[in-house]
Amino acid sequence: MRSAESARPSDFLAIINDFGSLEARSIRFGSRLDTRPEMPASHTAPPKLPELFRYVLAVALVSIALWLSLVLQVPFGNPFWFFFAIAVIASTWFGGKGPGWVAVVLSTLVVLYYFIPPADSFVLKPRDIPFFLTFVGCQVIANWLISWRREVEDSLRRARDGLEARVAERTAELKNANDALLAQMAEQRRTEEALQNTRTDLARVVRITTIGELTASIAHEVNQPLAAIVANADACVAWLSRQDPNLVEARAAAERTTLGATRAAEVIVRIRSLINKAAPEKTPVRINEIIEETVALIESQASRNNVSIALELMPNLPVVLGDSIQMQQVIMNLLLNGIEATTGITERPRRLVIRSRTEAASQIRVSVQDSGIGVSEEVMVRLFEPFFTTRSKGIGMGLPISRSIVEAHGGRLWAESNGAGGSIFQFTLPSGGGAIA
Amino acid sequence: MKEAEPIVFVIDDDRMIREGLQSLIRSVGLRVEMFASAQEFLVAKRPDAPACLILDVRMPGLSGLDLQLKLSEGGIHVPIIFITGHGDIPMSVRAMKEGAHEFLTKPVRGQDLLDAVQKAIASDRTERQERAELSEIRARLDSLTPREKEVLDLVVAGLLNKQIADELGTSELTVKTHRAHVMQKTQADSLAHLVRMAEKVKTTTPRK
Repeated sequence: MRSAESARPSDFLAIINDFGSLEARSIRFGSRLDTRPEMPASHTAPPKLPELFRYVLAVALVSIALWLSLVLQVPFGNPFWFFFAIAVIASTWFGGKGPGWVAVVLSTLVVLYYFIPPADSFVLKPRDIPFFLTFVGCQVIANWLISWRREVEDSLRRARDGLEARVAERTAELKNANDALLAQMAEQRRTEEALQNTRTDLARVVRITTIGELTASIAHEVNQPLAAIVANADACVAWLSRQDPNLVEARAAAERTTLGATRAAEVIVRIRSLINKAAPEKTPVRINEIIEETVALIESQASRNNVSIALELMPNLPVVLGDSIQMQQVIMNLLLNGIEATTGITERPRRLVIRSRTEAASQIRVSVQDSGIGVSEEVMVRLFEPFFTTRSKGIGMGLPISRSIVEAHGGRLWAESNGAGGSIFQFTLPSGGGAIA
Repeated sequence: MKEAEPIVFVIDDDRMIREGLQSLIRSVGLRVEMFASAQEFLVAKRPDAPACLILDVRMPGLSGLDLQLKLSEGGIHVPIIFITGHGDIPMSVRAMKEGAHEFLTKPVRGQDLLDAVQKAIASDRTERQERAELSEIRARLDSLTPREKEVLDLVVAGLLNKQIADELGTSELTVKTHRAHVMQKTQADSLAHLVRMAEKVKTTTPRK
């Protein structure tokens, strides 16, 4: 026999756990998304220098260049103007276009004044003009090149910043979508749970109303002839106890009494045949499938009560000829009873084990074992009596009806105490031929 | 006036119950008429006699409660003994409110039913007598002339002939004549009798 742990509840738990950790992951992911736009942007534009400082910087750089040129001119002997180019480049780079031009103009004037003979005057001799113009040209080109380069960098940076913003925006959108999806998943899970609950309730209501209607109708059917019997028997006695007993009337009343009793008996026969008639839908039933379907129906109720359900179903169990809905009623009833029996249990795991197997003499046996409160001797004796119940809400018809269904299928249903606490309800059914995988 | 023989109506859709009840009631010497449905009872000619109605609440077609309502709407007064298979409280409350005489659960013990029948017939007999008496008095009062009625009202109010004459603007002698006519037409033995009759009619007039 294959021992197939039903894994249904545990699978379900695993899914829940997976789902939980997925959620946790998403939340972590989400929080990273959240902080991302606020992260300090290390590669944004270099801090812009104040306007005045940038011009002061240009003047200072040109002054340093002048001082270095004057100092270094003494040892080298030649006019040393390269520092002005550096001053212009640095001013343009750090200060921008404006300070760059200031540096160009200043260094031109300084060079003209200090280094182009005659020294210490702004006089420009014609022979120095080409030299001077070359100097100025170099300065202007340096300034232009640097500021162009700077602009390119700026626009690049701006593009990158824009990109950053868009990325942040898209990430936020993504996060929202993610949140919505999570909410939707949670909602769906709730809906599924509600659906499952509704199904269980429905199964129970159908069970109860069917029984209720049946009982009311049986009560009426039996009560009518009883009323007739009482009325006629009373009449018979009344006719006989008169001063002048009327035997003709008494006999007629007695005859009607008999008729009433016959009718009551007919009602019983009709109810019997109704129960038997309910089973002419005898089709090959795969009990294992019915067990699995029924377990699926009550699974959420079981998990709500912390009851684990294990299936140990024999593969290739022979089919049974019978009414699958009635079979499901029987199994549902036994499972619900089992769950009910375990609800008070705290010191051991709440557990239902459902087994199916073949018996000798072409029978199958299904058992439902619970780890519940068990059944006392007195209760055991009365368990299958109609209207006997140990529960405040029960009507005490589940087991009698289950037994009558099983017996109508040619089987037996009985209960035993389970050695380890709890009880085992089992039933046998004659198998209806070949095995079905 | 010779009273008609009391009669018990049994309405039940179940023939065997109907016949049993009928036989039981006949055994104590009462007249019984059986009906298989409320409709049948409504169209039947009912004799003018003290009666009671045994009615199954649950019947196909017009139910027992419906019939009760129809009868009270039609001003037909007959005490009803309800028999029900399942004496649920709202139903019995409704029936009792509508004036059901008794509410018995099925199966009914013969003696209980017979007791209820006897009581119902007795109460119907008293009520019929009262109704007859009342309509008799009313007929007598209706035979008075308008003037005599005025005199009657004032006499009943406790006025003396002289005061009545003043009130109506006639002579005391005329009032005396009217008063004699009133006493004669109403067949009153005394002033007290006259007042009693007038009161009886007054207290029941709104019902008409």
